Amino acid sequence: MKAPIARKGGGGLRYCGAQGALLPNPPLGGTIYGMSLQPARVASEGGYMATASVTSSTPGRLLGSLRLPLSIFVFLALALGVLGIDQFVNAMTLGAIYALVALGYTMVYGIIELINFAHGDVFMVGSFVAMFISSSLLGNEGSITNVPLLGFSVLVLFALTIGVMALLGALIERLAYRPLRRAPKLAPLITAIGVSFILQNVIQFFFGPTIVTVPQLVPVEWAIQVAGSRVPLLNLFVIATSIILMVALQLFISRTRTGRAMRTTSMDRDASSLMGVNINRTIMITFLIGSGLAGAAGVVHGLYYGNTNYSLGFQSGLKAFTAAVLGGIGNTAGAALGGFLIAFVEVGASAFGYGRWGGAVVFSLLVIFLVFRPTGLLGSHTGDRA
Amino acid sequence: MKVFNKKGLSALAAVAILAAACGGSTASTAGKTLTIGISFPLNGASLASAGPARDGALLAIKEASIEGYTLKAKVLDHAKDGAHNPDQAAADMLTFVGQEDVVAVVGPFNSASARAQIPVSSEAGLLQCSPSNTNPTLTKGADGEALRGGRAVNYVRVATTDDLQGPAVAVYAKENGAKKIYILDSTDAYGKGVADAFETQFKTDGGTVVGRQGLPTGTTDFSAAATAAKAAGADSIFYGGVTSDGAPLFRNALAQAGLGALPFYGADGIYDGTTEGSYIATAGANAENSYASQAAIENIPGKADFNVKFKAEYGHDAEGYSFAGYACAQIIIEGIKAAVTGGTVTRETVRAAVADKGTVFETVLGSVSFDAVGDTTQRIISLYKVDGGAWKFVKEINYGN
Repeated sequence: MKAPIARKGGGGLRYCGAQGALLPNPPLGGTIYGMSLQPARVASEGGYMATASVTSSTPGRLLGSLRLPLSIFVFLALALGVLGIDQFVNAMTLGAIYALVALGYTMVYGIIELINFAHGDVFMVGSFVAMFISSSLLGNEGSITNVPLLGFSVLVLFALTIGVMALLGALIERLAYRPLRRAPKLAPLITAIGVSFILQNVIQFFFGPTIVTVPQLVPVEWAIQVAGSRVPLLNLFVIATSIILMVALQLFISRTRTGRAMRTTSMDRDASSLMGVNINRTIMITFLIGSGLAGAAGVVHGLYYGNTNYSLGFQSGLKAFTAAVLGGIGNTAGAALGGFLIAFVEVGASAFGYGRWGGAVVFSLLVIFLVFRPTGLLGSHTGDRA
Repeated sequence: MKVFNKKGLSALAAVAILAAACGGSTASTAGKTLTIGISFPLNGASLASAGPARDGALLAIKEASIEGYTLKAKVLDHAKDGAHNPDQAAADMLTFVGQEDVVAVVGPFNSASARAQIPVSSEAGLLQCSPSNTNPTLTKGADGEALRGGRAVNYVRVATTDDLQGPAVAVYAKENGAKKIYILDSTDAYGKGVADAFETQFKTDGGTVVGRQGLPTGTTDFSAAATAAKAAGADSIFYGGVTSDGAPLFRNALAQAGLGALPFYGADGIYDGTTEGSYIATAGANAENSYASQAAIENIPGKADFNVKFKAEYGHDAEGYSFAGYACAQIIIEGIKAAVTGGTVTRETVRAAVADKGTVFETVLGSVSFDAVGDTTQRIISLYKVDGGAWKFVKEINYGN
């Protein structure tokens, strides 16, 4: 069984046929769909087991793995001291949203080395889908004070939005990126920019170019007192949601078969396919998850800010992309860290009255990292292939 | 097919000139069509604010009659993606310049588009009248001179300028009891300019600015600025910028930080009615206790009469810049009439008649005349407050002539 579409787009590229496993340079994406690889699939259990060594810890690694949480803790304590509780909570909330979006960038880059410039706009579409579901389908107008009803509404909102966005992400991958899987790197990059424009214009067509309000289901008045400061429950909800999703993603990637397939595919696509990993399926799942997370970020954005607009994806996308690079593009934990780091820089600038320089500082940081530490905070396991 | 040779052509031209000369100067253009161009951003989010100005101008042109001439209007839209586009505005002005029977233009709506259009219209000596531009540098000082390229004034406006608007809001805020203000601006020419003018006046009147910063267009997170305003102990807020820069988002962030009860001041950038995407529609309930201004007269003489004929034409009440758009067209028509009386109707005679310093035009806005650089001498700032989900006129400050 072949997927002819992959070859049509890649005129002039190497193509060795469906039995490529026997050739020194086997073609992947789109050509190996099961049958010819049955023997390899039998062997794949062993292949998956072997990848466990990726995460195995040696005494040296243990020290290294302690250093990271420690430095994060020191950084957070410093930030709390400098900014005070109010601004600290602001930064954590903003960081939570950046991190969710950044994950999508880094996952896609990790697995197909594509900087998916449309991802910021996928996040934007997510915020509109959430708005539409919340106000039109569920009929919400403002906050809900009945706790069980609130919990139910929020859950339904998350489930539907994540579902719709995951499908949209997979659709974009199938239509816009898969046919270009083996084209020169520049082609999918430009396609991504095109997809970004398409998404913006479609949203503008349906919802107009103005700022659109989104029902803030969690009442903004609800707050708890922490050390004399008023901390809104909404902020805590945003931070908690994002952390839960990120932990779930880490577990998924490190503990499940599909997660393992994603890791092996990002390390060596050819070898993984020889081990029976279905590359197309794995890449599509990556897009499903990345876009689903962007959908979750869209829900969270709407609940927190109470508005959205069609150009939201550009700025936020750029920031989230920067976060992914700062953290080490291709590394999911790094992307989350980068998101929080950028949020702290921005909020810090604004807290001390230098808001107009916030963007400049963030992007200067990007340049500094690219020059002095191109692998980012946590390095990247695809660095050798980039 | 060659009907005339060169000689024949020039002979024909000579006859034509002779005929024109014999017809006498008053009849030189008699029976001719005169067109007034209308140049506004007219789609997407811009339509809500600029559409009424276009409707006003069209109504005035429809009503007018000039002995021996047919008066027409030609509308060009320079909005792209729902926002005014200065490049397109300049291109539209070139279109008007290229069409010989266009004797004057009503527009543009936004100062940035005016900056793009004035060099083009000035070069052609084509008069334009803006109902809404408020940026002082379009006309005043060295900037205005450079924009005109040293040529005679061809750009006039019936709205007064931001250098009065900022101070007027400052005086108003002070009267309402503001002592410690927190200022946020959108970092662009309009937002920062009006915030600067506000700050200067507020300090002159003995107020304290407890904090100030800028967040550019496209910012979605205003929570840090809101918390900073709270930490600084502000008792009032001023926002320099327009709705789409994020004014309602800042207002919501303030409410979320527990400052929803503080008075929120802005200028005409947030005075944009209640339609979708407006300040009031976006900020919702948080919009209460907001204050804004408009660089134009609110107490228009004969407003009710005007509204009757406007409603008869369009089926809804006159709003926003309908009056100013109507006034601009009225002024241009008066200019054309003066040119007719003077003998010849050309772009130059119409321009000279309108830009003439001291000539008083009786318009729907009242008596309007222009100073040496084309700014209106009707220097009135109207002040508004949100009351029950709509802007209510509170008072006006008249800076006199």
